[in-house]
Amino acid sequence: HGRRREALKEPTVDEKEQNRQRVEKYCALNSSVMDLRSKSVFSTDALNQTRRLLELNTELHTVWNYRRQVFMQLDIWQDPEERQRVLEEELRFLMEIIMKNIKSYWMWNHRVWALSSLPRPEWQRELKLVAKLLAVDARNYHGWDYRRFVVARLKETVVDERVVDEQEFAFTTEQIKRDCANHSAWHNRSKLLPAVLSSTSEAAQASMLEEETKLILNAIYTDPDDQNAWLYYEWLVSMQPSDTSRLILLRNKVTAIRELLELEEDSKRPLIELVIALTAIDCMRPELVTNSEKQECLETLSVLQCIDAYRVGRYSDMNRILAQRWGLAANSSTTKPGLAVVEP
Amino acid sequence: MDKSSEHNGSVGLLVDKHVEYVKSLDKRHDEIEYWMTEHLRISGVYWGAVSLHLLRKSDALRKDDIIDYVLRCQNADGGFGGHVGHDSHLLYTMSAIQLLVMYDALNRVNAGKVIGYVKSLQDETTGEVSGDVWGEKDTRFAYISLAIMSFFDAVDQLNVDGVVEYVRKAMNYDGGFGSGPGGESHAAQVFTCLAALAIAGRLDIVDRERLSGWLAERQQKSGGLNGRPQKLEDVCYSWWVLSSLNILARVHWVDCQKLCDYILSAQDVDNGGIADRPGDIADVYHTCFGIAGLSLAGYDKYSLAEVDPVYCMPLSVIKSAGLRKWVDKVPENWEH
Repeated sequence: HGRRREALKEPTVDEKEQNRQRVEKYCALNSSVMDLRSKSVFSTDALNQTRRLLELNTELHTVWNYRRQVFMQLDIWQDPEERQRVLEEELRFLMEIIMKNIKSYWMWNHRVWALSSLPRPEWQRELKLVAKLLAVDARNYHGWDYRRFVVARLKETVVDERVVDEQEFAFTTEQIKRDCANHSAWHNRSKLLPAVLSSTSEAAQASMLEEETKLILNAIYTDPDDQNAWLYYEWLVSMQPSDTSRLILLRNKVTAIRELLELEEDSKRPLIELVIALTAIDCMRPELVTNSEKQECLETLSVLQCIDAYRVGRYSDMNRILAQRWGLAANSSTTKPGLAVVEP
Repeated sequence: MDKSSEHNGSVGLLVDKHVEYVKSLDKRHDEIEYWMTEHLRISGVYWGAVSLHLLRKSDALRKDDIIDYVLRCQNADGGFGGHVGHDSHLLYTMSAIQLLVMYDALNRVNAGKVIGYVKSLQDETTGEVSGDVWGEKDTRFAYISLAIMSFFDAVDQLNVDGVVEYVRKAMNYDGGFGSGPGGESHAAQVFTCLAALAIAGRLDIVDRERLSGWLAERQQKSGGLNGRPQKLEDVCYSWWVLSSLNILARVHWVDCQKLCDYILSAQDVDNGGIADRPGDIADVYHTCFGIAGLSLAGYDKYSLAEVDPVYCMPLSVIKSAGLRKWVDKVPENWEH
């Protein structure tokens, strides 16, 4: 992925020779390692050679497998202190090479194995390491997936799991405060919120959800074009304990959208979210959506067909379905109709 | 002769160049890349074979050579490695079986051994599927286990409910799917989960509206597709996103013409092959998914073979193998 083509030029004689040597060196090391493996050699020499090979190519999962087997066959493996020592060294080795290829499944798997095999794993230290990594690349899902593994193991060691959940929840809050468009943080938050909610009283739950709604609304106002913030809001709607509170949130969403549209009329995301919100209200309580709002939905979908032409198929599907549901004529106008400001 | 038809000033599909590109892959012994990708050679062969089949140029590679090579990648445990002598893994077992099916040579393997290997990777209690004996779990493996078993008509030998449950736990608030419970939505995982559910006949658990909307938003201004919000577009998402939309019967929710233009602009006009984005170095992976994407998008300036969205193999092959049953199990109102 992501390697640029240089303007075509024949490599120089020197470059060709360099390449040839690189290939020769790599192939020799690879052959040597595969040969040791085929002979079931489990020695420190095997450790050294596999390490050198994996430094060159982190993707050789067969070699990672073999390296693990070598470790487990060594005499020192049986001694907890020795095992602790070699695995900590292994973790340091992994940290050295992780920046080479931060997206390598095999490397992360190996780290999981090392932590799982450590007599005294330090889960808090692992959390700090991942936090550093995520500071560099907040969207790296390998990092987040690994963090969840660490958290799961950490929970096994503590008396009260809720403390860990709250710690993780706070971590996502930190991430979001740093950048409210951090989708990975919001996603992880969506997995933690239910657990954190369930461990508090009903009254506290209501207040937590209110806080959460404020937080996501802030994200929406900060960047109205961010699809993810709206999806999270929708999810919070579904998390409400009653239809009454769901409807309140949906009406609040419509109000927020109208404010945003006043600032910027043909803003795609608020427009589609308007249709989604009114449709959601209609699904729960059809009598709560006015006829002019229904008309507005169809007109909005026409506008969207103009300003977001790639997704014309979606908008025309929605137009047809809603028109049918509400017994209205499907709006096929391609000119931009004036949108009246409608009192909810 | 190469038929490169003009379309809005851009280049058409460079069929002959792509054929030459695929043929050249096995000869690049002076390139370090060739050696450093040896561990997934069998998948490389699969990507090349799909490219050629969809271009209707499958004769360009020798069928017997491919079958021989695939069989040599099988290990004693019944699974296949990425290259001869490499450890078994579901990823490479999948490519192996896909190749054998494409070349009508499935009968060359002992079905029982392969079935046994796949079954051994499913956790009896949880239903989760590991990629290999080392235990990595991922929804990709849920899909692969079902797909491989379906080739042998042995899906019911897996704990299908367990697999479906694992996939369901990987579903997120945006309607998308991640690598496992807690994993963030990502188009490639969406594909594997939808394909798994399609084979299992459990697409009913999908939030079709939300997921279709999320997938439609993958199309960027360039016409290319990205894999999740805020990320760069990449030709391979032409497959992961479009196949997902196809299963959901919503391909028309993106602009297929613009997508085709984008894919074509990522071709290497000199050497053949398709890259992840315009101006980058081509590779066989993006060549495969670019061509498959063009096929799904209905590219009509060249007669590409149709591709099945669940298996990423020629539709004709899937039909002959009796594997289109998944279509019958799609929820009725999805208008397929």
